Amino acid sequence: MSGLVVASAGNALVWVVWVVAAFSCLGSGVAVVTFSNPFFSALALIGNLGSLAVMYLLLSAEFVAAAQVLVYAGAIVVMFLFVIAYVGPRRETPWSGGPSWQTIGAVGAAGALLIELVVAVGMQASGSLSHDGKVGAAFGTPAWVGRVFLIDHLLAFEITSIVLLVAAVGGVILGSHTTRMDPGTISSDAAQERRQDVEVVR
Amino acid sequence: MLGPDVAWYLAVAAFLFGIGALGVLIRRNPLIVLLSLELMLNAGNLALIALSRHWHNGSGQIFALSVMAVAASEVCVGLGLVVAINRRNLALDVDKLSELRG
Amino acid sequence: MTGGSWLCLLAPLGGTILITLCGTRIPRVAAAWISTASCFVAFGGAVWAFLGVHDQHKALLRGEITTAWTWLQSGNFHAGLQLLVDPLSVVMMLIVSGVGGLIVLYSIGYMDGDDEERRYFAYMSFFVFSMLLLVEGGNLLMLLIGWGLVGLSSYLLIGFWHERPSAVQAAKKAFVMNALGDATMALAFFILIAHTHSLGFGANFNVRLSSTAINLVALGLLGGAVAKSAQIPLQTWLPDAMEGPTPVSALIHAATMVTAGVYLIARTYPIFEQARTVELIAAGTGALTLLVAGLIALVQTDIKRVIAYSTMSQIGYMFLGAGVGAYANGMFHLMTHAFFKALLFMTAGLAIHALAGEQDIRQMRGIGRLMPFTKWCFLAGALALVGIPPFSGFFSKDSIVASAAALGTWYGWIFWVCGIAGAFLTGLYTFRLWFLVFPGEPSPFVREHYHDHHGREGAWTMLAPVGVLAVLATVGGWLQWSPRWHPFTDWLAPAARTLAIAEPTSTQEYYTSAATVIAGLAGITLAWAIYSEKSVTIKALPFWRRTLEHKFYFDELYDAVFFGPAVAIANGLRREIEEPVILQTGTDLGEATMGTGGVVRRIQTGLLRTYVLFLAGGAAAVVLAFLIAK
Repeated sequence: MSGLVVASAGNALVWVVWVVAAFSCLGSGVAVVTFSNPFFSALALIGNLGSLAVMYLLLSAEFVAAAQVLVYAGAIVVMFLFVIAYVGPRRETPWSGGPSWQTIGAVGAAGALLIELVVAVGMQASGSLSHDGKVGAAFGTPAWVGRVFLIDHLLAFEITSIVLLVAAVGGVILGSHTTRMDPGTISSDAAQERRQDVEVVR
Repeated sequence: MLGPDVAWYLAVAAFLFGIGALGVLIRRNPLIVLLSLELMLNAGNLALIALSRHWHNGSGQIFALSVMAVAASEVCVGLGLVVAINRRNLALDVDKLSELRG
Repeated sequence: MTGGSWLCLLAPLGGTILITLCGTRIPRVAAAWISTASCFVAFGGAVWAFLGVHDQHKALLRGEITTAWTWLQSGNFHAGLQLLVDPLSVVMMLIVSGVGGLIVLYSIGYMDGDDEERRYFAYMSFFVFSMLLLVEGGNLLMLLIGWGLVGLSSYLLIGFWHERPSAVQAAKKAFVMNALGDATMALAFFILIAHTHSLGFGANFNVRLSSTAINLVALGLLGGAVAKSAQIPLQTWLPDAMEGPTPVSALIHAATMVTAGVYLIARTYPIFEQARTVELIAAGTGALTLLVAGLIALVQTDIKRVIAYSTMSQIGYMFLGAGVGAYANGMFHLMTHAFFKALLFMTAGLAIHALAGEQDIRQMRGIGRLMPFTKWCFLAGALALVGIPPFSGFFSKDSIVASAAALGTWYGWIFWVCGIAGAFLTGLYTFRLWFLVFPGEPSPFVREHYHDHHGREGAWTMLAPVGVLAVLATVGGWLQWSPRWHPFTDWLAPAARTLAIAEPTSTQEYYTSAATVIAGLAGITLAWAIYSEKSVTIKALPFWRRTLEHKFYFDELYDAVFFGPAVAIANGLRREIEEPVILQTGTDLGEATMGTGGVVRRIQTGLLRTYVLFLAGGAAAVVLAFLIAK
């Protein structure tokens, strides 16, 4: 494995940073999945996102790393925390509920995917993944990303903006008070009838 | 490239993806499911960035940025659903939210 | 000359189209007069054509073909929309349009008051057009088209009163039996096309085909003729066809359509002369039919059925004449027969109409006292039918029988004896009918049900044609007296020359005439003795009586041989194949689909985690496939 060749202190430093980031990434990932309190899961996600940002920096993707922290950790996780706070305390343990074949099947499917991906990567290791080299200084800088995004991938840019707009509208609609609903656990059919009753009365 | 080969990054991404998939499959709280989904998306992002660095192709980073934006939108809508479910006082349990059945 | 033929053909068609297009906008009687006028215009055209042919007759012209356009073309096979104007076709044109016009005129009075009069007259004009197409056709294809269309018209008119199930059955029976003849004719035409690549008269008549081919062709043509002319063995449809209105019986089943078979043999005589055996089979069929029909007519109680069997018998005479080779004699008898048979039907119709639809002769006794005009006209027709001089039947029938004698062979003499016996039977059954219906005191039934038409026996539209035909039945035969004076035969000679061996000598003619007249008179006398004077009673003979009443069990035979097995096969197929296999397949498919749907439905559990599991599992499988492919 070429990576084990310790050529310089710089390389060693990079390796150390990488190991720490990788382990914290995977550890916090396991934490997200296993905590029973959703609040703690969200906090674990922050750790995961931070480690990923570090790895992006190692890969000369500065802009993406910054965006990761700002958007993901700064906006998305905050949204999660808001909703978790709104929803209230719910504890639910993993591995609970559902038919047993579901749990076994889950482990099987996830494990299969994992193994297959690892195998794919391993198989490719001698193939196209062996290419190596240097990148220019501008690689990964905001200016460079902006140029590539807006010139080579303008369509993706515009479509992404439309998707964001749609999501914003959808979120507003989903969250708004649209119907006069009585509190209580009622199914949607009964809700339909109640709505009609209300309108008839009116 | 300094540090580990791109294969290591891809391995990390694979593990992260597997963990996220497991989370989606075994958790019943929709919020946790969404969090696990975020893990999977981030794993994909990591793979993209790594290979972009490896092949000197900027498209990988651009793709990752789009994925981020789409993930944000999806989380927005998903959380809106959770809020709506909660407002109707339905149980926040994906096993119980099963009326769309054949 | 050719203009006359086109006018003759297209006038009735124009009448039909006009009546159909006007629909209910015109009063019913207007439709009737349109139809009648179109038939008389056609007659005018026929006369015009006749004059044209007569002029050219001196040059012994064979006839002129006029082509509208090439209708069918395939490879080197052409068939044009052609009409042929020659002596034979002109004779038929005159008969069809003339007698047809008189009968359509008669229908105005007969069908007066019927709700569907317009449909009736449209059909009548259409029939006249079809029959004219048949006789004017300039090639075999046109003839076949006319052939099929008259079959169609016959079906439409027999089943005119379609609320009656018996009428509908009779129409179907007629059509199916005619279709059998159509099929054999089509097969004959296929053989002709295979050999000569043409359906024209000239191409097919002047060629020498192999013996088997020509015999097959002749048999096919004979099959068609036998079906259309109701000869044995395809005769069972004609009595049932009396379900139609009386003028229809007069026109189609007496004067014109049923004689189309005779016309066919006369027209295609070169083919038949090459297949002499088949021609003699035709003559034998005619001889057999004339006897059988005469016997059956002896026990019939429906006035129209007696006349129908009489028609069958007389066409047997015509087949006999054409079969032995005396085409002109056969055609002459066709002409006189058209006169007196239409007359008989129409006078019977007068009586039926006056008695509000009663057709049973046992009820109609003595109606002659109340309807003298009808009585005398019927008598004229009856005497013409039996062949008593100076009525028309005498001149035409005897020469046919004499032609049979002229052959000199054993079968010729058998035919001769059949002809004489047939004359006896004709006298017997005709005057049985006469004596039972017309003379004597009116029966209580008649007295009660008789109603006249404003003091007269019927509307003038009914009486005038009857009168005209009575005159024609009397004098129509004076056109030819074979031994001495034969302008008719001479006129037809270019188109249908009598076979030399069938030319009777004067001696043969004389003694044949004497024999037939004596036989006819004997029949009349016997009928008088049995039915009028009641001085002779016939023995009970229950077996014969039953056989004759069942028409020699032909219907039962066909029922057992054709209809029964066909129905059994159809029912069997339905039971064994259609219901279990075909219908069940549809049901099974539906049930299988529903079953599959019911099973697949269970995948939709509604649980998110199950769906995601399937997703993940599927993704794993796909990646595995990719890895393996690599």
